[in-house]
This record gives sequence, C-alpha cells and structure tokens, in this order.
Amino acid sequence: MGSFNAIFTAIFNVVLAPFGHGFPWFDLVLWPLLGGILALLVIKAVSNQAGITRAKNFIQVHLLEIVLFRDDLRVVLPATAKALAYNVMYLGYNIVPMLVMIVPMTAILVQLVSHYAQAPLPVGETVLIVAKLDGEVQGVAVRDVTLELPAGLSLDAPPVRSADGEIAWRVRLDAPGDFVLKLHAGSVTEEKSLAVGGEARKVSVLRTKSWEALLYPAEPVPAADSPIESISILDRDDQPLRGLPDGEGGVLAWFFGVSLLAGFLLKDLFGVTL
Amino acid sequence: MRRAVLLLLLGAGCSGENTSPDQPGVFVLGVDGMDPTILRRLIAEGKAPNLAKLAADGAFQDLETSNPPQSPVAWSNFVTGLDPGGHGIYDFVHRDPLTYLPISSATPPPGDPGTSVKLFGYNLPVSAGDEIINNRSGTPWWDVLDGAGVDVEVYRIPGNYPVTESDAKTLSGMGTVDMRGGYGQYTWITDTSPVAPPGHGLKADVQLVTVEDFDLDGKGDTVKAILKGPPDLFHLEPGQMPGESDYLTVPVTVSIDPDADVAMVKVGESVAVLQEGEWTDWMPVSFDALPAGAMALGGSVRFYAKELRPGFKLYASPVNLAADAPPQAISTPDDFATELADVLEGQYYTQGMPEETNALKDGTFDDDDYAKQVALVQHDAGGMLDVALARFDRGDATFFYLSDIDLQCHMLWRHGDPKEPSAPRHPAWEATSAAKHALDIEHYYQHVDSLVGRVRQELPPETLLIVMSDHGFQPFTRKVHLNAWLRDHGYLTLKDGKTTGRLTTGDVDWSKTQAYALGFNSLYLNVAGREAEGIVSAGDVARVEAAITADLLGYRDPADQKTVVRRVDRGADIYHGARLADAPDLVIGYDRGYGHSDESTLGEIVEAEIEDNTSRWSGNHLMAPEVVPGVVLASRPILGEAHNLTDVTATLLAWYGLAPLPEMRGKSFITP
Repeated sequence: MGSFNAIFTAIFNVVLAPFGHGFPWFDLVLWPLLGGILALLVIKAVSNQAGITRAKNFIQVHLLEIVLFRDDLRVVLPATAKALAYNVMYLGYNIVPMLVMIVPMTAILVQLVSHYAQAPLPVGETVLIVAKLDGEVQGVAVRDVTLELPAGLSLDAPPVRSADGEIAWRVRLDAPGDFVLKLHAGSVTEEKSLAVGGEARKVSVLRTKSWEALLYPAEPVPAADSPIESISILDRDDQPLRGLPDGEGGVLAWFFGVSLLAGFLLKDLFGVTL
Repeated sequence: MRRAVLLLLLGAGCSGENTSPDQPGVFVLGVDGMDPTILRRLIAEGKAPNLAKLAADGAFQDLETSNPPQSPVAWSNFVTGLDPGGHGIYDFVHRDPLTYLPISSATPPPGDPGTSVKLFGYNLPVSAGDEIINNRSGTPWWDVLDGAGVDVEVYRIPGNYPVTESDAKTLSGMGTVDMRGGYGQYTWITDTSPVAPPGHGLKADVQLVTVEDFDLDGKGDTVKAILKGPPDLFHLEPGQMPGESDYLTVPVTVSIDPDADVAMVKVGESVAVLQEGEWTDWMPVSFDALPAGAMALGGSVRFYAKELRPGFKLYASPVNLAADAPPQAISTPDDFATELADVLEGQYYTQGMPEETNALKDGTFDDDDYAKQVALVQHDAGGMLDVALARFDRGDATFFYLSDIDLQCHMLWRHGDPKEPSAPRHPAWEATSAAKHALDIEHYYQHVDSLVGRVRQELPPETLLIVMSDHGFQPFTRKVHLNAWLRDHGYLTLKDGKTTGRLTTGDVDWSKTQAYALGFNSLYLNVAGREAEGIVSAGDVARVEAAITADLLGYRDPADQKTVVRRVDRGADIYHGARLADAPDLVIGYDRGYGHSDESTLGEIVEAEIEDNTSRWSGNHLMAPEVVPGVVLASRPILGEAHNLTDVTATLLAWYGLAPLPEMRGKSFITP
C-alpha cells in the first residue's frame, strides 16, 4: 500500500503541478474527463460489447412488451422476469471492466481529493491532533507518547491520554507555515504535516496504517512495527473551489459526475456500447 | 419619484420584486425587558452614553406594554399591531376548556394527529394529520412591508415559531424549540445526584454515571452516557406523548486524562478537548430516525466541564436544531437560517431562549457558570448583529432581537434591586454571589448600550433607529398560589376533603368550582356549556367575576398588609378582535413584587396562598402593565406621549408611507 501510494503521489504531484491550486478547474475537469475516456477504452477492450448490445436490446424488447400488453398479466409477468434477467446479465457484462478500472480510477480520485478537498487551517484557531496507539505493538503506553511542536504552534491545553489508547492534543495555530509535528512514542518518532494559513495547497489530514491510507496517500504509512496506528487532524476546512462542489464529498461527486457525463457523450466517438 | 411609483403600484394592488424605496430605512433593536427607570438612572450616571445620545438626538419615552405584560403577548402586539383579542396570544399558557389541561399558547396540540401503520417494528405514517401551526393570528408588519417592496429582515423575532409563511427573511426566536421539542432541556452528566432547591423540580435530564477505571490504574478515566435528541416518532403512535425512553439518542464518551484535569469528549462523530471550567464550541450531532442514515436529524450541542475530579459534573446544552441544516423550518425562506450559518461560519443558538436559566434555577450552575454561558449567547448575538448590519442597505427594514436584559433581570435581581438599591434584600439573596454579581444587570445594560453604539455607527445616514422593549422589570419577592387563594375563598373546591392537588388529575370537584387559574396572569370561570364540567351559568358570569375581582383587589399580604393585586381586568373589556372567545375571563395584574407561582401557573393547588419567592428566578414583569412599562427610543423626535407597542407597528408602516391595516390598533408616532 505504501509503495502504491508513493508512486501515484509522485506522479500526481508532477502532473497536477502546472495549474494546481490557483486554477483548480483545469485539473477537476481534465482528470474526470480522462477518467471517462479511460473507462470507455477499458470497456471497449475487455467487455463483451456484443453481449451488452444484445442484453440491452432484449431489455428494451421486454419493457415494450410490458407497456403494450399491460392489461394482460400472462404477458406482463414473464416479460418482467425476462427484463430483470437481462438486467442481471447486463450488469454481469460490466463486472470485468469495473474490476479493471477500479484501481486507476480510485487512484485518480484519491489524488484529486488529496490535492483539492482540504485547505490549510486558519491562523489563530485551535486544532485537535489525535494519535491512536497500535494495540498489536506492545511496550508503549499513552503516557509514553509526547508531541514536539515547532515554533508557530503551541499547546492550548494539556494532552488527554485515554484508557483506550488515544492521545489528543489541542494545538493553537499561532503562525502560518507548513509544519512538521513530531510524535515520540518510546524510541520511535513519527511525523505529521500540518498546513496553516497562506494559499490553497495540498493538505494531509490523516496518516494511518489502516486501509484508509489508500484514501489519504499524501504521507507515508507508519511502519508496521510503529506503536502509532494513526495520527489525524480532526478540524478540517474545505478548500474553496471557485464554484465547484468542495470538500471530500464535493470532489468525489464532481469526479463521478463529470466522468459519467464524459463517458456518455463520447461513447459513440469511441464506438462503445454502454 | 421611485417611491411615488411604488405607492401608485401599491394602490393598484400590484406587488413586484422587492426593491426598497429610495428613502432611509428603519432598523429596530428589540431589547426584551429594558426598563425605563433603570435606563434613566444609567443615562444620568453616564453609564449608557450611546443610548443617552440616541435619546438626545431623538427621543426616549416609556412604552406602554401589553396586558398581561408577558413577552409572547407583548411581541405579538408589536408583530401584528393587534391586541390579544386579535392575535389570540393571551399568556404563555392557555387552557383546553374540555380537559382543563394547560396548553402552549404558541402551538396548541393538533386536533388530528394522523394515522400510521406498523411495519418491521416502525410506525410509518399513512396520513399526516393536522399540521402544528403558529397560533398567532393577524398579519405581521414584515409581510405588509415586504408586499410594498421593502427588503425586510427579521432576526430572532419572538413568537414566530412555527414560522408563519412569508416572503420576507425571518428567523424565529423565543418559542423556538430544541431537538427534544421543548423550550430547552439540558443534560447533567454526573456521578453525584444533584439536589433540587426546596420547592423546585430539577429541569435537567440528569444522567447518573460511574467514572470507570478502564486502565486499572486506580483512577477513574472513562464516562459513558447518552444525549437525548428528538422523540423517536417512528416508534410512537401518532399523537402519543414520548416517555423518557422514547427519544433518539447518541452516545457520549468522556475520557479523563490520568494526571491533568482535562478530558476528551466524544459525541457521535464529534470530538473536543475540554479543561475543567471550559466550554466546547458547537459540536454537530446526528440522530438516526431510520436505519442506515435513511433519515438523520441534525443538531448541535456544546459541553461545559463544571468538574472533572474528584467529582464529575458535565453539562450538555439542550441540543439545538442545526443552524446549517435545521430538521424543521426556523426561518423564511427555509434557507435563511442556513445562509446565516454560512456567513457566521458555523452553528449559532437556534433555541428560542438560549440563556441557561434552568441550570441556574436547579443549582447545578452558580452565577459564574451562568455568566460564562450568557457570554456565549452574547457572542452569538453580536456576530449575528454584525451580519444584519452588513446586509442592511438604505431603504431596508430590519428588526433585531436581544435577550440580554430580560433573562438576566429574571435571574440576577436577587443580588440587588437595580431600581431601588435601598430595597430590602430579596428572599433569594446569596451573600457570596451578591458581592460579585450585584452590578451584573447594570453591565448587561451597558453591553446593550455598546451594541447601540455599534449599530448607529454602521447604519446608513438618516436611517430611523428605534430601540424598544416589550416591558420593564420589577422584583419578584412574593409568589401567589392563585388556585390556593381561590380554594381558600370558596371559588375552587377539591374532592374528598383534600386541600392540595392538581386541576388535571381528578382532584378538583368541578361541580362546586366556580373559577380556576392557568397561565401566569389568566383566570377562567368554570362556565356551563364552555368548560367540560362548567357550573357558572351565562347569567351568573358577571356576578362571579365581580365577586372575585373585589376579593382579589381587597387581598392583603398577610406578611405586611401590602396590596397584592393592583388591578383585575375582564378579558371582554380590554380585548378586541376575532379571537375574543379564547380570552381569559379575568386578567390578574399583580402589584410590584408579587407574581404568580409556577405551581399555580400549571394548575397545581398547594397548601399556602402566598409565600416568599426563594427561587433564583427573582425579577419579574408578570404584573399590572403600568408597573412594568417598556421603553422606546428613536433617532427622531416622537410625536405625543403614552404610546404602546402597536404604535411602533404603525410607525414602521408609516415610515414607508403605508397606512395601518384596518384591524390594526396603533398610530404612528414619527413623521417620515
């Protein structure tokens, strides 16, 4: 997972750089558009196009049958069953291309979210940093975990060490900057980035060992033997995207919406049946 | 010219898109409970310079309040330009003559609760039943102005929940419910059972918890509790009142640090770190009415760590309707509340009466805790006032409500009478608090004064600024159990020789009862043909009313022989309009210092007729109207004197060249 994230992050840090955060529209239109085209190419290459066409035709035929003979239950019931069966068949034909597409599409999507969903936190506010200990790694207790803050950040309250292995710090953001927090847990030190103030830029809100690392690829996954399971920034600000839907949900919805639209608009050009 | 065209269009019965007339606008600051005597003293002492300047530039007069001088009644007079006979709001509490049950004056229960069908353990609605609607009749002034093309914004207006349909922008205030559907019930999570003050039932949802020692280090570290939200309607029959276990809940987990007095509070998906004595910011919570998030109702809550060790006392505010996505309408249009949340960058108090008076009355808060909470309310209100001012353009009409003074006068009067500093100590006087908080009321006046300064600075030139209050204030030192008085004077009889009981629990012998009290100033005769078990014939009503009136006016406080009741008015004499049939038969106007007991207000008959008011709810205005006039200050001279609340309504309309609606009762006191 760590290598996968590292490769895609490196690629997208380069390809998203030319326009970047000053003009998010470009990337947020281009990449879903490319995603839609990629989907068409994959569908054309790996799906059973003849089967899809046949299934769609039969669905239409049986729907027509239902409409025309709606007063005759002896016709409607078998027609409905057949329409449903061809629907299942249609979905089956799409499984293979979906399986092929899921990796690159997810990679594009999480990179866009990583770059455009969150904004740096405002100066003067407080933020909660929560670290969770990995229950599988012995030898470090919550009392052994400390947070080292760089100049520009300060503790706003004593840390809370919970009985279930979480440590929470309320940190005041005194100055703008791209900071690195250092969490010392026994002999291990883990780092976490924290962006404060200034222009919109790539912001990482979670560093974790769990499967969620796939969705938050901006920072390296902690080593398997690290006592720290995850470090998260709980207070988040959505990055304004000049009229586009913002936040994680907004970027996600936009990506799927534009990809689908592109796919439907370009399917004839690529000679693909959807 | 533009205004002339506008008036021409109005005359032709046309209304178009809102375009404010090319004339100065009007900004009304509604300060609940501002008292003319206190204000005059502060002005004389130089402690309210902005209000002094406003008075000097324009005018400052007493403003006649409503009868009775209760906020929902008074603000409804202002909103509609009618008296209670027209708008139908006579008291905080009305009664159902068929059951003798007290009912909310703002939102009477719907007649038809609807029907449902049980499916997979859920009661799914089949028919909606009657809608819960605002009981207030009449046309609000903002609708008249909006119809005339004025851009109107109304912030936190009392008595407008449920919101009435309008094209103007309005946000409901006093009367707006919390997620539980009441006026605000807080949660008190504690490991020690709180003790209610004598004669007072705790208003909190108390959750007795154990501070568990999960990590076995000998120190308690974790508390698990729940926060109640809205009634679980899909498990209740239509119209069924929810029991204590019939509310949707979210879990609350508190982790206390082993060494420091600091805790992590988790409620739903929200997390906060809280030191002892600190408040959290608003924390969003979501209650799932249906599984898998099919229907999630959004609210907001804030916590206060009163004590983390050695005892555990955590306050959770009433769960307010989420301002950014209210699960029911609290504004017109629906998204006005959301729009404000966007501008304010977060949640604000949507609960109608946000000051936590219940916790102070319960004794779970002391005055310091209360002052901290009021500061949060003031912060919210100040931010919203800034938004209102920023949105105000020349020609607009804006109303902005401030609760600062009213609730603080209710709660803090016991520390020292700001009207008569030499008055005897209040029965609820507390030495330690009084030393620290004796001047708090004065400080709240000064806070309002500073807001007035801000408003004057920001308003476009020539804007008419009106600062008004719905009533003034007096001490509340002696509480009258009116139903006990009726019993002792032979107007109300209990069954089986009982001397105490309730109107609603079968304790009263209605066949021998001529009158009963429900609400804060309302007295009803047990009229045959109107009440379920009425005995007073139509021909006998006047005689019984006269007898009760004479007895009440002659009633003297056994403690010092002072007059208790200053005036008694017949509803039929003082009210006018289509809702007269709902009026109380007699309206009781208590003299200074006296007021209805909470017990009697809700129909309880206790042993004593009258006793000291030892509650922290120590200032009041539920007296004779002439004892508690309000104020009106304007940035222009006021014509004539002895104006009332409906005159302010007429003035707002007249400012834009509009005549009052035919049913309205007021007269303008300012020439545009």
